[in-house]
Amino acid sequence: MRSYFSDFPKTALQASYWLFVIYLLLPLALMMAISFKDANFVAFPIDKWTLKWYAQVLQDKQFLEACAYSIFIALMTTLFATIIGVWIALLISAEGIMARSVIFALACLPAVVPGLINAISMRIFIRVLDIPTGTGAIILGHTVHAVPFVVIMVLTRLRSMPNNLVDAARDLGADSFVAFMRVTLPYLTPALAGGMVFCVLTSIDDFVRTFFLGGYQTTLPMLIFAKVQGGMSPEINAMATLVLIVTAAIGLYAEHFTRRSRT
Amino acid sequence: MQPVVHFRNVNKSYGSSLAVDNLDLAIEPGQFVTLLGPSGCGKSTTLRMLGGFETPTSGEIFLDGQEISRLPPNKRNVNIVFQDYALFPHLNVRRNVAFGLELKGMASDAIHKRTMELLSLVKLTDFAERMPGQLSGGQRQRVALMRALAPNPNVLLLDEPLSALDAKLRQQMQIELKSIQKTTGKTFIFVTHDQEEALTMSDVVVVMNAGRIEQMGDPHTLYAKPRSRFVANFIGETNFIEGRLKAIDGGLAAIEWNGSVVHANLNGQSPAIDSTVAAAIRPEAISVLSQKPANTIAVSGRITQRIFKGDHTSLTVSLENGQSVVAQLDPVALSAVTGDDVWLTWRENDAVVLAD
Repeated sequence: MRSYFSDFPKTALQASYWLFVIYLLLPLALMMAISFKDANFVAFPIDKWTLKWYAQVLQDKQFLEACAYSIFIALMTTLFATIIGVWIALLISAEGIMARSVIFALACLPAVVPGLINAISMRIFIRVLDIPTGTGAIILGHTVHAVPFVVIMVLTRLRSMPNNLVDAARDLGADSFVAFMRVTLPYLTPALAGGMVFCVLTSIDDFVRTFFLGGYQTTLPMLIFAKVQGGMSPEINAMATLVLIVTAAIGLYAEHFTRRSRT
Repeated sequence: MQPVVHFRNVNKSYGSSLAVDNLDLAIEPGQFVTLLGPSGCGKSTTLRMLGGFETPTSGEIFLDGQEISRLPPNKRNVNIVFQDYALFPHLNVRRNVAFGLELKGMASDAIHKRTMELLSLVKLTDFAERMPGQLSGGQRQRVALMRALAPNPNVLLLDEPLSALDAKLRQQMQIELKSIQKTTGKTFIFVTHDQEEALTMSDVVVVMNAGRIEQMGDPHTLYAKPRSRFVANFIGETNFIEGRLKAIDGGLAAIEWNGSVVHANLNGQSPAIDSTVAAAIRPEAISVLSQKPANTIAVSGRITQRIFKGDHTSLTVSLENGQSVVAQLDPVALSAVTGDDVWLTWRENDAVVLAD
């Protein structure tokens, strides 16, 4: 542990931290609180508490279908983004590659291009190629966005990999494919796990790309957006709370997992 | 006997620099051979060419009479112990050792039997299920060694495997390596820049410099009869005697040096009379006397430094010609202190004439 600003009063530093935590969590806490309110209006004070909104949400066929659809898209996105991302990371870290930094910059570009621009360009692109809007187009758009995160995480891990590991596998009788499957890939596991969780979360969260590329079937963010336009109700809060808890749990678990396997 | 490894006119260049220069080297089976030299002398490149990680620019490498210089590493019956061990971090000790056997397609109970046998050879059976990260440096070293031995290679290559260990452990591992080599009867080719390591373990030491072999021989010959200034300097401590060759008489060279004529063994060299020659003499071969001896040749000098080193005392003696000579003696043999005038003498055959 290092110490910064050690001549500042400790309490002031800690107070500023807690202030930030409150700023971060209070809106979420309020949203969650409303989801337990036994009334139709989204406002305080809460006189009576209930779980009926949750019961309603969990029986809502539209919500469950949107969940399933979002998860399906997220899994497909993760599959493609992981394969492409690992491939690019291996290409960048291989010896004797020309213009390494250019390849890296291009691979990372989709992460920094504004989502809206990305979405519009993809929309034009699929029209040119005559790909219909819908599931395929959404997966295409989400994958482009997710690849850079996989590339960066895998590349970081590859850089920490001792050079001799693959040599040792080759020396013990593995051809280059077997060496990759039995040594490189297992070594990459923590980075892959982290990257895949990241892919799932960004895909489930994505609204803009889905909005431009989607068909008639709604994903979770689209459904919530549509419901909000129809007027706020504690039911939406209940939905959002469920989504929040599940995604936060996945995210925290992944963080914990990657950190543990680093040591 | 057919050599197990034979390099024939092997060259390896990187761009314009020559890493290995026309190497001709034959290694007999069952020997502990050390490639010794400073960094950049081509010893590691030589080893990596044999392992299949570098391809010679020209020339051929034979393993058991078969030309292998262009085969990939997985098609050669040699295994390497890497400098940083390169244990697979995601596999436990047992699976690390079994790696090469699994790739050979051996039956799983046979793999288990062989793995446990090898681990018991280095007393690591209790650590079979540990991960490499949970082992000490010496234990990792042993696992790496057994992993490389497991597929039963013709030749085991060791690329400075002891350099990461501390001095005590290194000495212990030197003895252990030597005894494993003896019990397995395999050919070991060991690369190091540490001359002491080379002398301790090897049957044959190959001293390399600038991509070439300087001298090859058993440790004693290399130490007692170095052929070149480089070898004399690289192995152990040495004093150089440099002067005009006055005469050659019965295998001895008479060299004019520091105002006297001293003798040195010709060591197979045939320098021309009146040319400048160099000879080497080890510090421990020099006797330091407080008075001029009556019946042998001696050179005079003055003690400039006296250092107590525990098992011996090191004296630095400055000669009239300005050169300093280091002599090693029994700590209590001589009471002379810094500033005293002394006489240096040695048995004629302990000094050897060098090629350059």
